[in-house]
Amino acid sequence: MIVRAARELAYLLAGVLIGPATFLWALITTLASGLLSVTYLGPPVFLVLTWVTRRLAGLERWRAGALLGRPVPAPYEPASGANPWARGRTLTREPATWRDLTWLVLMFPLGLATGIPGVVVAVVDLGTILAPLWLWAVPNPHLPPVVDTLFNTVPGRFALTLLGVLLALPVRWLVGTLARTQAELAVKLLGQGPRQRLADRATELAVTRRRVVDAQAAELQRIERDLHDGAQARIVAAGMTLALAERKLRATGPQGDPARDDLLTARRQLDEALAELRRLVRGIYPPILTDRGLVAALGALAGDASLPVVVRAGDLGELAPAVQAAAYFVVAEALANTAKHATADECVVDVVRREDVLSLEVRDDGRGGADPSGSGLTGLRRRVEALDGRMEVTSPPGGPTVVRAELPCAS
Amino acid sequence: MRIVIAEDLLLLRDGLIRILTDTGHTVVAAVDNAPDLESAVREHRPDLSIVDVRLPPGFRDEGLRAALSVRGREPRTPILILSQYVERTYAAELLADGNGAVGYLLKDRVTALDEFLDAIERVAGGGTVMDPEVVRQLFARNNRDQGVSALTPREREVLALVAQGLSNSAICTELVLAPPSVEKHITNILTKLELPPADDTHRRVRAVLAYLNH
Repeated sequence: MIVRAARELAYLLAGVLIGPATFLWALITTLASGLLSVTYLGPPVFLVLTWVTRRLAGLERWRAGALLGRPVPAPYEPASGANPWARGRTLTREPATWRDLTWLVLMFPLGLATGIPGVVVAVVDLGTILAPLWLWAVPNPHLPPVVDTLFNTVPGRFALTLLGVLLALPVRWLVGTLARTQAELAVKLLGQGPRQRLADRATELAVTRRRVVDAQAAELQRIERDLHDGAQARIVAAGMTLALAERKLRATGPQGDPARDDLLTARRQLDEALAELRRLVRGIYPPILTDRGLVAALGALAGDASLPVVVRAGDLGELAPAVQAAAYFVVAEALANTAKHATADECVVDVVRREDVLSLEVRDDGRGGADPSGSGLTGLRRRVEALDGRMEVTSPPGGPTVVRAELPCAS
Repeated sequence: MRIVIAEDLLLLRDGLIRILTDTGHTVVAAVDNAPDLESAVREHRPDLSIVDVRLPPGFRDEGLRAALSVRGREPRTPILILSQYVERTYAAELLADGNGAVGYLLKDRVTALDEFLDAIERVAGGGTVMDPEVVRQLFARNNRDQGVSALTPREREVLALVAQGLSNSAICTELVLAPPSVEKHITNILTKLELPPADDTHRRVRAVLAYLNH
């Protein structure tokens, strides 16, 4: 408790001493940038001044954080701009720059207003508690009788100590409140403003959404694998057993045994179940994507299309399953639409990866007029947007129809 | 027939072994991953290998790749690929060397026992067997290229059956045609696909390949 009180007192005292310096600095910055703002040198000078301002603000943030026992994160946006001029101008638009300066100005009066009462009260109380140690050295003649007894007799001095100890708690409370008030105000101005909090929240949401989408893709792959190793395999195995039973029945059973027809029906039903599972799996996560990756899967799509399709793809590197699947289904849907509606002779699919963006383009030479709000395309757009991507369909009457999608694919 | 099986799922491996031994074949090795398949084929030199596409270690298309690598070293090693789905790309890769003695079937087909047994005989004998599903995918693609679109509907039917690995006489029975007219259809198909003369099996494989690649 004593350590904490000492820390609060130190905070207040330092505030009183630092206040004039920060005030002076804020004054210099404001004057210098105000005067230079009309000249060519304005932005770079402001850049340098702000560098110092941010160090001072950083010191204040550290002081407030140490007092309150929690870190105060800096609110600054990442520096942007090609040269000192551009960077300087960016800084003038950043709210945090002006909030820093406001605090440096406020520091001065606020430091005095909270610091002086806090320090004085604490020193007086400490002096009272320690009265027996020093009052004898300071002669106090001509005091009123009660005060005289307290100051000039040994029992009186111990009575003062008692009084000081009794007052210690309220004094401690006052010092703590003053220090915390000042620190909380500092955090309000120097910490993250609403804009920064929103930006951080948006980043966080994008990251968590991406995680959900990736987890979903991984889950779909797992389901595909489970179906392959589980249900599908079991049905095939059951079919094999039926086939053997049928064979035995044929060898040993009577001719025209009606059980044989039932066996044949059962086998046909199993075949239908398998065909249905295969269709389902293709819609979930096409096996060829797992086997061979996106480029080969697009090649297979092109090969299966009912019109000639050229696929032009560069080296795409490693892609997340969610990105691969989205790209695959965009191309699949676009090709299906072209085959169904466009009366096109040819279709070209371009796939390129530029750093962290995968761009797809499916272009046909058909008659256009496709409805971009059709249900298939809308579903795909949602899928692409869930990956923070964009998809657009242009299809003027007379053609061509072009489907473009961009998918972020940072690994 | 001496057969090597590569299938990682115990249930299906056992089912295949039962079916093959019940029908008088010998399973000389049953392995559950791609590297073991290659060494088993080297060691046993079987009359036929039946291989699942998806095998450990990667659970992708290791089985297919192992089969291709075996045939790269030993052309004409008879291999029947089984899979739970068919990809035209894989069929084309299997046929690409033009040597025959390959098959590509859905696992479902094993349950049609007579046809399956017939298929393994044909592959072991150097023929080509493609799943009807592969053929169906091809027909779904309308008029994609000159050669194939020049075929008459009847010729397409014949080509589909050739792709499934049927012999001329089997095609006669299937389409209720006389042997000379089947032969005439096949000659027409080969001419329209611009395939140079060569021995019959070889050309038939190439006809299917031409079909798959367009």
